[in-house]
Amino acid sequence: MAVGRKELRALAVALIALAVVAAVLVPSAAFTAGYLALIAFFSTVRMTLAFLLSLVFAIAYGTAAATNKRAGEFLIPILDILQSVPILAFFPPALLFFVYSFNGNVIGVEFAVIFLIFTSMSWNMAFGVYEALTTLPADLREAATVFGVRDWLRFRRLFFPATIPKLVYNSMLSWTVGWFYLVASEAITTGAFTRERPGLGSFIYDAGQRGDLASIVVGIGVLAIVVLLLDTFLWRPLSVWSERFRMEQTAGGPVSRMPWGYERLRWLPRFPRIRRWIAARLAPLAHGWNRAATPLDRFYVSHPRVIRSVRWLDLSMFLVILASVVVTGVVGIAAIFLSPLPSLASEIPVAVLASLGRLVLAYLVALGWTVPVAAWVAHNERASRLITPVLEVVASIPATALFPLIIAFSVLAVGAFGLEAELAAFLVSLFAMQWYLLFNLIAGMRSLPGDMREAAKVFGLRGWTYWKRVLLPAMTPSLLTGSITAWGAGWNALIVAEYISYAGHVYQVGAGIGYLIAYATYTPGDHGRLLLLSVLALVLVVLAMNKLLWRPIIRRASDRFRIEIQ
Amino acid sequence: MTDGHPILEIDHVSRSYAENGKEFRVLEDISFQVHDRDFTCIVGPSGCGKSTLLREIVGLDRPTSGRILFDGEPVRAEDTRVSMVFQSFALFPWLTVTQNVQLGLEAHKVPEEERQSKAKKYIEAVGLAGFENAYPRELSGGMKQRVGIARALVMDPLLLCMDEPFSALDALTAQNLRDEILALWTNPDLPPSAVLMVTHSIDEAVYLADRVVALSARPGRIVKVEQIDLPRPRNRKEPEFYGWVDEIYSLIV
Ligand SMILES: Nc1ncnc2c1ncn2[C@@H]1O[C@H](COP(=O)(O)OP(=O)(O)OP(=O)(O)O)[C@@H](O)[C@H]1O
Ligand SMILES: [Mg+2]
Repeated sequence: MAVGRKELRALAVALIALAVVAAVLVPSAAFTAGYLALIAFFSTVRMTLAFLLSLVFAIAYGTAAATNKRAGEFLIPILDILQSVPILAFFPPALLFFVYSFNGNVIGVEFAVIFLIFTSMSWNMAFGVYEALTTLPADLREAATVFGVRDWLRFRRLFFPATIPKLVYNSMLSWTVGWFYLVASEAITTGAFTRERPGLGSFIYDAGQRGDLASIVVGIGVLAIVVLLLDTFLWRPLSVWSERFRMEQTAGGPVSRMPWGYERLRWLPRFPRIRRWIAARLAPLAHGWNRAATPLDRFYVSHPRVIRSVRWLDLSMFLVILASVVVTGVVGIAAIFLSPLPSLASEIPVAVLASLGRLVLAYLVALGWTVPVAAWVAHNERASRLITPVLEVVASIPATALFPLIIAFSVLAVGAFGLEAELAAFLVSLFAMQWYLLFNLIAGMRSLPGDMREAAKVFGLRGWTYWKRVLLPAMTPSLLTGSITAWGAGWNALIVAEYISYAGHVYQVGAGIGYLIAYATYTPGDHGRLLLLSVLALVLVVLAMNKLLWRPIIRRASDRFRIEIQ
Repeated sequence: MTDGHPILEIDHVSRSYAENGKEFRVLEDISFQVHDRDFTCIVGPSGCGKSTLLREIVGLDRPTSGRILFDGEPVRAEDTRVSMVFQSFALFPWLTVTQNVQLGLEAHKVPEEERQSKAKKYIEAVGLAGFENAYPRELSGGMKQRVGIARALVMDPLLLCMDEPFSALDALTAQNLRDEILALWTNPDLPPSAVLMVTHSIDEAVYLADRVVALSARPGRIVKVEQIDLPRPRNRKEPEFYGWVDEIYSLIV
């Protein structure tokens, strides 16, 4: 994309002029545009606050789990479970804690929305911190010990910098997931009532309820613009910067892969001047942090008792939270089994199987098109330059925002057989899974060393032999990484895929665990126990799949291919 | 040259690991002394426990039995009188040369100005003037190890411990650094006073050391402690030199 600065400037001027003319001619459109910009701003602020919360949580949790062996033994399984809990399961506690305790006050609803976004962003970031610290080279740790670098200084000089590459990579992933669930988070619906806060998510939700296709398309467009702007001005510079904190590869080690988040940004124009301007504004902040850190260091030294008591407070707080979670869980499970089961509970086994089948199908279809496309893009510079930007833009639109299009297409295609809900559920799952596969595969195939490719050419490897001996082995690690992420996203997406409410009509599948969870959440009536049971079933299935399928495969693959799974 | 008093005493040290419920012996009954102003080398075949022994000496690990006393007391890892250079350099990739060198001073709350001037002095002493603000990834292997050496020397150690510091470098660079370490050690104005170095190269040990502690294959036992009294600078072509090399070689294998 060799767009010159001049052309860009001309384009910007033309767009602004057009906007001014349009605003003068059609004042109502100008009003709408202003409104859209405002709600886009609101949504971004909410995402940012949730992200900052996730950041603090992830660093504290991941560091504790990685540096304290005993703590890690139970912190990591807990994180495993939390990651597999679908976002809808957090609706009741969010309502309970924030909405009811604030008497339905706006502030309470805002807290609830931010909390829900937080639950979709934070777990993978905590895992990233944990992995970065557990793979920290032992000699760096020992050097820190030998030179007396401890506690606060060790965190500042060793642990925190070491987590930056994984933290940035996972932050990008978290933002993608956050946008995906924004629609669900900004319109908290349980049973008979809905609590909404103005934002892009609720805008799209409302438009969907009205069946207002034009507004939906506009909402999606604005969302795509926000995502692209953030990518260009925030995530792209950040991921370049984070490369500085990567451990050096020793010769003969495995080839380092660029995270796909970075790959996907490569084509964007660079805007060097704007970025320099931002950097100049941010520089004092960085200095400020250093200046602020020095008194913090001093405080640390002079007040060891305060620090120790803070740590005790931390520990006791965690224990209280843990205890309340355990008690709630035990009481809830006891309540489930002490009284007769809700009638729908008997459907859970069939529902799980149906959902599994749906995801397997979506996974196979995704695999079927992403593998050849990734190979083609990785082997063809021109194709890559043309196709990648298009794929980026399409992938940046969360599937949840595409509901209307998906529904319209499904009704048109198989509505005559009454299968529109099934097709829509399949499509949403496909959209939730496929991008992780595609971008991981492209990154994986790109990392294939050039001399290996040339060796294959010299020895005349072509066709199927080339695939079998070169491409498939080379892409196995990234295929695994992509598959695991895709399946995680797929399970979580079921709750929005199997139960779609659009234009006053509910499109629900015949059987599905996501449908049961969404049904228990959204329809009026007392479905608390059904919700708890089906969430439990989903969590168990996801955990079982991780333990019994992915872990053994990873272990096998890492023996053979010496790979690192993100 | 052994005229200094003993500063480090290794007293019947053994180390074993538990593996699958079985005891796995790495070091067995190691006793020797390191004297002040001595250059001591520990040599032995791969896997005989040299690194383990050195990590115990600097306090990164504890022996299963026996004692290690520095100046009559057990060593703690963060003790500044004993410092360490790592085989893999172990530089922090996100810190500049100066920041890496200052790391230990920062941890020991040395005031900013003193930190700066000391770091500058040792960066110059190892020949890295002009690279103060470079990041490790911008340096060659030899330069990285110079940073590692400056980082250890800036703590003013009495005893400098090095674990195969030159084995990750090419032959020419390694030889240059050997001579520079000798120069630093003989310079009375600069630390360290004594050097304890682990190596698997007998040639390197004979070139550098006053005393060579030879370990057997696993479990590591002391085969012999040799006093090498060749004058410096030593010449590898002299018959005395390879006489020593041959003798130690026959002891170990
Ligand atoms: N933490 C540990 N747990 C179990 N075994 C260990 C541990 N550390 C070292 N060992 C074992 O102790 C033995 C000696 O290791 P060490 O690294 O000290 O040998 P070395 O002489 O330095 O070898 P090299 O010349 O290859 O560096 C090895 O067999 C190693 O596997
Ligand atoms: Mg070793």
